[in-house]
Amino acid sequence: MKNITNLKEFACTPDRFQGGHRLCPGCAHSMIVREVVNATDDDLVISTATGCLEVCSAIYPYTSWDVSWIHIGFENAAAAISGAEAMYKALSKKNKLYNPDKRVKFVAFGGDGGTYDIGFQSLSGAVERGHDFLYVCLDNENYANTGGQRSSSTPLGAHTTTTPRGRVSYGEKQRKKDLTMIMAAHGCPYVATAIPSTKHWKDLAVKAAKAIETVGPTFINALSPCTTEWKFKPEETTEIADLAVETCAFPLYEIEDGRKLRITYRPKVKLPIEEYLSRQGRFSHLFKPENKWIIAEWQKQVDEYWDYLQRREEAGV
Amino acid sequence: MATPKEMLTTWDKVQFAAILPAFEDLEHKKRSKFHSYNYSVADWRVEKPVFNRELCIDCDFCWVSCPDSCFMVEEVVNKRGKKQAKIVGINYNLCKGCGVCVDVCPTPIKSLLMFPEYVDTEEALKQWPKKD
Amino acid sequence: MAQKYELKQREVWDGNLAAAHALRQAQVDVVAAYPITPSTPIVQNYAQFLADGYVDGEFVMVESEHSAMSACVGAAAAGGRVATATSSQGYALMVEVLYQASGMRLPIVMTVVNRALASPLNIHGDHSDLYLGRDAGWIHLIANNPQEAYDLTLCAFRIGEDERVRLPVTTNQDGFLVSHTAQVVEPLSDEEAYKFVGDYKPKYPMLDTKNPVTYGAQTEEEWHFEHKVNQHKALMESFPVIEEVFSEFEKLTGRKYNLVETYKLDDADIALVLMGSAFETAMLAVDKAREEGIKVGLLMPRVFRPFPYNEIAKKLKNVKAVAALDRSAPMGTTGALFNEVSAALMANGQSAIMTNYIYGLGGRDTTVEHILEVIKETNENKKANKRVTPLQGFINLRGPKLSFN
Repeated sequence: MKNITNLKEFACTPDRFQGGHRLCPGCAHSMIVREVVNATDDDLVISTATGCLEVCSAIYPYTSWDVSWIHIGFENAAAAISGAEAMYKALSKKNKLYNPDKRVKFVAFGGDGGTYDIGFQSLSGAVERGHDFLYVCLDNENYANTGGQRSSSTPLGAHTTTTPRGRVSYGEKQRKKDLTMIMAAHGCPYVATAIPSTKHWKDLAVKAAKAIETVGPTFINALSPCTTEWKFKPEETTEIADLAVETCAFPLYEIEDGRKLRITYRPKVKLPIEEYLSRQGRFSHLFKPENKWIIAEWQKQVDEYWDYLQRREEAGV
Repeated sequence: MATPKEMLTTWDKVQFAAILPAFEDLEHKKRSKFHSYNYSVADWRVEKPVFNRELCIDCDFCWVSCPDSCFMVEEVVNKRGKKQAKIVGINYNLCKGCGVCVDVCPTPIKSLLMFPEYVDTEEALKQWPKKD
Repeated sequence: MAQKYELKQREVWDGNLAAAHALRQAQVDVVAAYPITPSTPIVQNYAQFLADGYVDGEFVMVESEHSAMSACVGAAAAGGRVATATSSQGYALMVEVLYQASGMRLPIVMTVVNRALASPLNIHGDHSDLYLGRDAGWIHLIANNPQEAYDLTLCAFRIGEDERVRLPVTTNQDGFLVSHTAQVVEPLSDEEAYKFVGDYKPKYPMLDTKNPVTYGAQTEEEWHFEHKVNQHKALMESFPVIEEVFSEFEKLTGRKYNLVETYKLDDADIALVLMGSAFETAMLAVDKAREEGIKVGLLMPRVFRPFPYNEIAKKLKNVKAVAALDRSAPMGTTGALFNEVSAALMANGQSAIMTNYIYGLGGRDTTVEHILEVIKETNENKKANKRVTPLQGFINLRGPKLSFN
């Protein structure tokens, strides 16, 4: 496992995901992907579901990937990587590996669309079968690539193009699906949440290194603030991610073997949820007097979940 | 976005199955003509970040948070024999002018500031805010 | 090292077991499959081979057919020999990925046990699934009995993996009629079979991490056409490779396969065109008809895709009336074989009185007598020198006579 100590040393890593791609300026996907692929020295084979990352990093005749990479479709990033990993095992058994002296690790990237929704089945299947791979969900809480439609990851009250705010509606009516816990319930050896941030860069990098090193299916749910669809200025991406953590809207934790939960960051002062919601255009309508109850509901849900995590950590389950 | 003329090939010359090899020479890190590293997104920007080497403390926050892998680093060895990354510049072909690097730069007077695209780097450094 | 399976010179296998043995002998590296009637026994037999040590590759029991083909694509791109099996609903579920597999030019081999498509639900044999995947860019071979299912599956690896082709291949066999009917099969020994199929030659393997590659890029208006044309060209130009492989197979076994199979067509003045197990039933009907003085012959595309339209036109040069039998409901038009054979004749400046029959849907029995009726009707058209029977009729349909013109 790569020894990740400080950023000055980590920054010596030759970047395996390059620029020249067509992601929006300030896109968090790219920050997350760079940290994940640079968190290991092993060779990598990567699969990606259709979505912002895939579409922007492989527009013929250009590719931004320094490692082998495959995109098949929207719902099968996990199935694709299962096949590649199975081939690695098969060739290994038959002594027919192309580079037998170098270990190859498998990573799949999918947006919340390709992971929470249409790709959920193939992810669940791949994890149940115990393939040795890491799945990173780049969660921007909507189908950003096609213009910002809702997904099951879209949180309460958010404005999306299929749950728009209007005269008679306040936007998304459902709660955000708790995919991280669902993946832990699959019995994955390692599951974690993470964000792109300078303050918490090491949290993500170490989690990625650990997840890649762990044998078996591992899952990282990375919150990916989307400047285009969440409606904030491109330079504020890491600020929004930090606020998600400081308000406990998106707590940072990890779970080993589906049971041992450990909170990896506790904000010294838990900020009120308004600090997070007020920075994003997709929630601006929640500050109207008739919608204030939604903010109260948000705070209630965040507090309850934060409390639940702490109790679970304490009980060691 | 249109493909540059020199890359626009005919049906008999396209890549087999649209498969793109990343490197011409992996050992010497020479990326192929198909690699986006050799593409330019410079025309996306209207303002650019300018790097002030004098004020930089090499915390590498800009390196880790740049979505476009723009920060060029040089590996140096510190007094305690540990290797660390020294920021040497910005790859302006890949920079989209998002401003995240400026946002995360922690020095009291920032070592990275946004300037309009047409301002010369020399000129920008002259205009840098001074400590009062 | 996989254990050798001792085979007798003559085995009694159904189509499923024959296909499973062919997959075993080809020493496939990864099989990712999902069970569906009537191809389930292929997957089960393969699992038994694995459990008994006769297979040393990986067997991924995926959670749906869509994931089965996706895993096959991921494994093939990674760089090794890949195969799978399915039918009807499963085939329909993975149709999206079939296009993706052939677009990426990955030589995956799939044995499809042809079954009807719902609704209403039906588990028996017809060609609805075969017709669904026509344009997906796969090479399609048609097997009429277990021996052919075995032979063509082995040939499929050679054809798909050939440097000049590099396309995925499907071997089709009728659900239950071939897949579950045991007949005599003369297999090759494990060594002979593997020697014929040969070692897998990778192309742009992802696991060769010293040469990283990107698969599945996006091509928009500027590029898509150029890429699809190359795929189409590979299919159109794969005929010589298929004939070469068939030729080599003949030298090895004495069994000769052709792009177009015929039966007593040389001196025939009327012909029936049909594929699958009903072809053999039709052979018996042809013999009977000839006893009655009707000069009828049969024609079948052994290779359905790419469609050997010029070969077919050549073989039908002297035929005055042709009945095309389609084992799939065309839903609003004439059947695929009717359309493609008519077009083949027209493209070559030929003509014949063409009629279309829909038969055998959902495993509906088609007997020698039924085919004999079709032969007699086609003969009427020849005698009248114009079409006097309906354009589209139905064989063995219970109820008042139905036809379309």
